[in-house]
Amino acid sequence: MKRILLACSSGMSTSLLVSKMKDAAAEKGIEAEIWAVAQDKAVTDMAKADVLLIGPQMRFLKKKLSADAEKAGIPLDVIDPVAYGRIDGAKVLNTALELIEKNK
Amino acid sequence: MNKFMEILENSLLPIAEKLNNNRYLAALRDGFMVALPLIIFGSIFVVIANLPFLDKVLSEDSLASYQNALGPASSATLSIMGLFVIIGIGYKLTQHYGLEAIYGAVVAVASFLILNPQQLDEVTGVIPTAILGAQGMFLGIFTAFISAELYRFFVKKNWTIKMPPGVPDSVSRSFSALIPITLTLTIFLIIRILFSFTSFDTVQNFIYTIIQQPLTSLGSSLPATIVVVLLIQLFWFFGLHGQIIMNSVLDPIWYALNDENLSAFQAGSELPNVITKQFMDTFLVGMGGTGMTLGVVILIFLIGKSRQTKELGKLGGPSGIFNVNEPIIFGLPIIMNPLALIPWLLAPVVVTIITYVSMSIGLVPKPAGIIVPWTTPIGISGFLATGNSWRGAALQIVNLLVVMIIWWPFLKVLDKNYYETEKEATKAA
Repeated sequence: MKRILLACSSGMSTSLLVSKMKDAAAEKGIEAEIWAVAQDKAVTDMAKADVLLIGPQMRFLKKKLSADAEKAGIPLDVIDPVAYGRIDGAKVLNTALELIEKNK
Repeated sequence: MNKFMEILENSLLPIAEKLNNNRYLAALRDGFMVALPLIIFGSIFVVIANLPFLDKVLSEDSLASYQNALGPASSATLSIMGLFVIIGIGYKLTQHYGLEAIYGAVVAVASFLILNPQQLDEVTGVIPTAILGAQGMFLGIFTAFISAELYRFFVKKNWTIKMPPGVPDSVSRSFSALIPITLTLTIFLIIRILFSFTSFDTVQNFIYTIIQQPLTSLGSSLPATIVVVLLIQLFWFFGLHGQIIMNSVLDPIWYALNDENLSAFQAGSELPNVITKQFMDTFLVGMGGTGMTLGVVILIFLIGKSRQTKELGKLGGPSGIFNVNEPIIFGLPIIMNPLALIPWLLAPVVVTIITYVSMSIGLVPKPAGIIVPWTTPIGISGFLATGNSWRGAALQIVNLLVVMIIWWPFLKVLDKNYYETEKEATKAA
């Protein structure tokens, strides 16, 4: 089970991506829990996640959240803006899985 | 051009980082988030109490008693939103320091009340609700910051009463808060007494006259608003969330202006402000998201030829109705796209001016102080924000057309470029 957390300003635009990522995961037969939160909830939800991805418009959060992510022992990255614009669930899912893999 | 953009981005990113990660601004933003559900609850009942045509269906007396019955809904929430913001800030800031957050919240409220007049005209033993709304907003915010800081300071000093082991946790916790709270509140009491010797009489009066009034009147001016709008657009052009960055600074001003309008609206008197929270949310964001991209989506459906833009229209259209437009911003793309820069900056400024002028001259009612969630679709949001006026909705539609006209030539070129590239690609294949 892969647990993927997405965060943006209010968790709205990342939730668009979440549904596309779920579709992509189902297609590939990957068991994954994917959800989106607003930035202020990102820190508390980290404990339940294997990876955190931030919307590119909130990339200024990376520095601050990196410290918390390190504490939680999970990798963190900013979502590629092009994939974000295309709501490319498959691509972002791959990024997430790669990050989890690398973190092992 | 690329070099210039790089320099600009490299200077904007640290600003965004600083503003977003500043602990006071973060607490302020979270404080407003705490108040938001209550504000929206109150707004819903202001809308219901002022439905159009009620005055034609009901007699004057029954309309008055209808409105009186619904009144408490907004007077217990929307009209005293400052109180909830104070609780939110005190709580969140104390939580940020890893201390018992609820004490931070109550200490902030008590400190704020200590600084305020506790009489209204000749009646004593009352707390004027006006100070819990717009009027006390700034004092409330400062007080919450300072009281949370003082509370933390005294807790860290460790002048706490230590309980012997075996005393239940909650009992010892309530005692451990005793000394920091006593000292914090004493300081505020001294401040209050000192101010009573000045010509301002109360701290409330001092902050209101010296800080709040100048700032809100600056914030309600058209030039200042245009500057803010341009900054938000510019942040977004570099793919940074402009509202999150700017709103934490400006929300106190916009909400204060909003609340002034609400009181006037409910009293049935002339609304004082054009620029309010709702001006920004409904007439700028509320038209498809930042940069009013609903107009762009419609244009794509009207004139889009390339696969790329058409796909994007289908992808970004539905969420655009609810003013979520990251697909358009990142997908068209608008970010870092020189072709999009001009309409991206120009359209919001033109719309700001049109909206400001049409409200100033009375063509369209000013925002009534009702807080409409920013995800409310165009038309509905304009109607609600202006106190149930169809003119608010009509203004949004006019603005939408203006956005489309401004974008038209630029989207045409952009779309043609994509179309040519796609044709080349199919030919090559």
